Amino acid sequence: MTATIVAQQAINGIVLGSLYVLVALGLTLIYGVLVQINFAHADFVTLGAFAAYFFMHVLGGSYLASIGAALVVGAVLGWAINVTIFAPLRRKGSELLPLIATIGVSTIMQNAMLSLFGPVPYAFETPYSQKVFRVAGTFFTLQSVIIIAVSTVTIALLYAFMKFTFLGKALRAVSQDRETAGLMGINPNYLIMLTFILASALAGMGGAMLAPVLVLTPFAGTTVIVKAFAIVIIGGFGNVEGTILAGLLVGLIESFTTQYLDPGLIDIVVFGLLLLMLAFRPTGLVSERREENV
Amino acid sequence: MRKQHVLAVSALSLIASVAFGAANAQDKTIKIGALFPMSGPGAYFGAQDKQGVELALEQLNKDGVNGYKFTVQYEDSACSPLPASQAAKRLIDQYKPDVIIGEECSDATLAIMPIVEQAKTPMINAGSSALKVTDPGNPYTFRIMPNEVMQGVDIATQAYNKLNARTAVLLYENTNAGIGNAKVFKDTFEKLGGKIVADIGFGRDVNDFTSIATRIAGVGKVDVIPTYTLEGQGLKITQALAQAGVVKGGDGPAIQLGTIWLPFGFEQKAGKAALGYVRIVQFDPTDQRDMVKNFVATFKAKFNADPTHINAHAYDQIMLIGDVVKRGAKDAQSIRDQLAATKSFVGVTGSVEFDKNNQNTKMDTIHYMETKPDLSWNALKWN
Amino acid sequence: MSDAAATRQAYRSSPRRYAFLAAALAIAVLPMVLTGNYWQTNLTVCAINVLLALGLDFILGYAGQLNLGQSAFYGLGAYVSTLLITKLGVPFWGAFAAGVAFAGLAGMILALFAVRLRGHYLAIASLGFAVIIHQILLNWISLTQGPLGIYAIPPPPAIAIPGLPVIDFRNPVALFYLVAGFALLTYFILDQLVRSPIGETLTAIREDDISASSLGINAAAWKVFAFGVGAAVGGAAGCFYATFVGTLVPDAFFITESFTILSMVIVGGMGTLIGPVWGAILLTLLPELLRGIGDLRLVVYGVALTLVVLFMPGGLVQAAQLIRSKLTGAR
Repeated sequence: MTATIVAQQAINGIVLGSLYVLVALGLTLIYGVLVQINFAHADFVTLGAFAAYFFMHVLGGSYLASIGAALVVGAVLGWAINVTIFAPLRRKGSELLPLIATIGVSTIMQNAMLSLFGPVPYAFETPYSQKVFRVAGTFFTLQSVIIIAVSTVTIALLYAFMKFTFLGKALRAVSQDRETAGLMGINPNYLIMLTFILASALAGMGGAMLAPVLVLTPFAGTTVIVKAFAIVIIGGFGNVEGTILAGLLVGLIESFTTQYLDPGLIDIVVFGLLLLMLAFRPTGLVSERREENV
Repeated sequence: MRKQHVLAVSALSLIASVAFGAANAQDKTIKIGALFPMSGPGAYFGAQDKQGVELALEQLNKDGVNGYKFTVQYEDSACSPLPASQAAKRLIDQYKPDVIIGEECSDATLAIMPIVEQAKTPMINAGSSALKVTDPGNPYTFRIMPNEVMQGVDIATQAYNKLNARTAVLLYENTNAGIGNAKVFKDTFEKLGGKIVADIGFGRDVNDFTSIATRIAGVGKVDVIPTYTLEGQGLKITQALAQAGVVKGGDGPAIQLGTIWLPFGFEQKAGKAALGYVRIVQFDPTDQRDMVKNFVATFKAKFNADPTHINAHAYDQIMLIGDVVKRGAKDAQSIRDQLAATKSFVGVTGSVEFDKNNQNTKMDTIHYMETKPDLSWNALKWN
Repeated sequence: MSDAAATRQAYRSSPRRYAFLAAALAIAVLPMVLTGNYWQTNLTVCAINVLLALGLDFILGYAGQLNLGQSAFYGLGAYVSTLLITKLGVPFWGAFAAGVAFAGLAGMILALFAVRLRGHYLAIASLGFAVIIHQILLNWISLTQGPLGIYAIPPPPAIAIPGLPVIDFRNPVALFYLVAGFALLTYFILDQLVRSPIGETLTAIREDDISASSLGINAAAWKVFAFGVGAAVGGAAGCFYATFVGTLVPDAFFITESFTILSMVIVGGMGTLIGPVWGAILLTLLPELLRGIGDLRLVVYGVALTLVVLFMPGGLVQAAQLIRSKLTGAR
């Protein structure tokens, strides 16, 4: 019996962790390349979820297509906000102002969504969330399988992109040393734009994947954003492998804390871990960045 | 000659006073202040309260009551102590209502109570379950909905007796209402001889309940799971419990109970997982009383939706005000006194009789519903 | 020189001695002009927010430390003082001092992270700290009552000075004078601090703490100092909050409060002392004035913040200087 419980909570933790990874990936990308914290990121996730909802339940599209729709919405909005707000701010060279701008954007997005969609939680059902598999005493839904599958494929694609394509290598170059990258003829601004679009598209897509699992209100983003930041730091800012590891770790912490302690303690454990990491190993679990920027 | 003179003068005075009276009748209004959350996460309460209020006002103002018409002013109390206090003060300073209705959230209601008492304006509450609102309460705060003790004691007793439950898992959101309700259930259930095998509180920011459901699946025999949460999380919980094979909807043995609020459309969203769910609702839309049938029909006609208990409560709050005015009240103090004297008001949510703490003690406000396989409600006539 | 730096330069060179008298006068007169329970309590909320903004600005604007945890100090001040009063019967001003001290101490503990981390790492660490404090307040029910809340918190005890009428703090005007007076005093003390060599030290650390160290400045010690002061001021605001609202729930100190306080500092003008005062007043009164438009008022809030950051990063102070220079034709 206990072995089954442990196995089940391990599964729950991995599924939960995959969700967090989907949200945190975009964050880590943005930070890695732009060295910028984006508090509005989770609101892109929420918006992606709503976009998928309307595509599927109002326009009658299929679920898988709605993921694509959310991706497009995320990309377009990311591009628009970068052009109007973040690019002008980066030119001023301040570290703090873009961060505050993301807070402003987040407030605008949340409350605009509240005015548009109202505060009643939307129930996003897909045919996949109803189907349950039972294997050796454990259970999981088809939706979970899809989440893990899509996350894995996305991560693999992203990884391949970063490691093997020219653009990907250029992004890594810019994140490690912007000046030198500039000297090598790579246009940082173009790459930054690309990063933003990519990260926002990821966020939108993440939202569509998450929608059946989230309590879908305009404030859904705030329920995950701070944890997402914790994951990005624990894993190492700008580091994709670290983020994945940290995301899964946090998911497992959640499920096992729920089982053996109390759900109310989850945040304390996760953020306690965060502070410990920052005290003793600020560069994260898997560090690639040089210590200098810490 | 003199007699005719007197007659004429009297006739003229009579005509004059009737004319004057008629003219002034247009000026007699009762001002109702409404403190509801219109922004933030509690905003959907406020939106629904408004609907109920509007329907009731429409009906009352058609003919007026004793020559009085009713007007309302809404202020956003945002479900939280500081904004609620600000909203209450603004309402009282600027609108000077004769009576106030609100709030929904216990924290906010408790913060407002001293303010309305100081302003000597009576307040009717229909949304907060915390005991403190009417115990000790204050002379100016009236609550028409059953408090957490009334609900908790009743549901625990019914579970023990009518469902033969002996083991329970408490599952509740970490708020005033959640913790308070869970504690009452626990105390009553244990006193009857039942056993609480797990006590699980969770934050309002939890999205995924699979871990919690797994934990519950592992504690052994569970007869009932009193669940105190709002719609969004409630849906996820029910689905997770079914997936884990714990509740009837998932071919398990346990029955989910209770809750702070689940609207009529919950089953359609939860699907099969909601089978066998037994809950207290404060408004039974299947009630066969004419008053309820009329309410549902007129509400549907006006808003094109089925009324929830929040709509119904707001409607009753206004109708109760109409009733006290019918009994002769006309300003804040007389409204307060007539409210306190209410013994036999009947609303769509149930009857109202206030005890010495201004708490409505009528148990017909507690309706039990069970979810049937076809996802409709079966009214369990336990009260 | 960047916009913000130019603003600070201009600010320092203009005469401000008369400003304190003017402020004291304004505080004394306002409750007479804005009468009614509603407006008078609004003014007290402004005063509390001014304190919060000043505290944050000292850490962020002057010492340059990216602190997103101000809500934690706010909450600690409120809970520590209230629990001492309600559970141990400690007299108000003793509890007040304890609350302020506790918050200041917590600030210094967070500062230990600031010593090693910069920029965004510190931002997230401070946010994590704020989440932990909020969760402790929420979950440690046996101590704090958690979401059940603490009610009927009494106002400060009346003060009887022989020869004068008794000052009763149940009167909202008296309470306003107390909080606003304290805020003015805090402003005065902070003003003296930043004009002294301490201020220059903090500025040096803000601009480049590695170089500052090479000049013999103990950056670590000064960061701890700045956090301690800023957190203590935030704690004082918390003590006043509890006694003013009379009701204490942990959600009043959720991390979004930190963002609100940050907005006040930025919109007012970071790195000046008068900026946060105006920022706090504006962002407290604006939602009240915009009540008529319901949910959209929070959108306006976010838009205001974004626009300020985009076009006027020095905030209201920068705007005022621009207007003044346009009017006088001076450079």
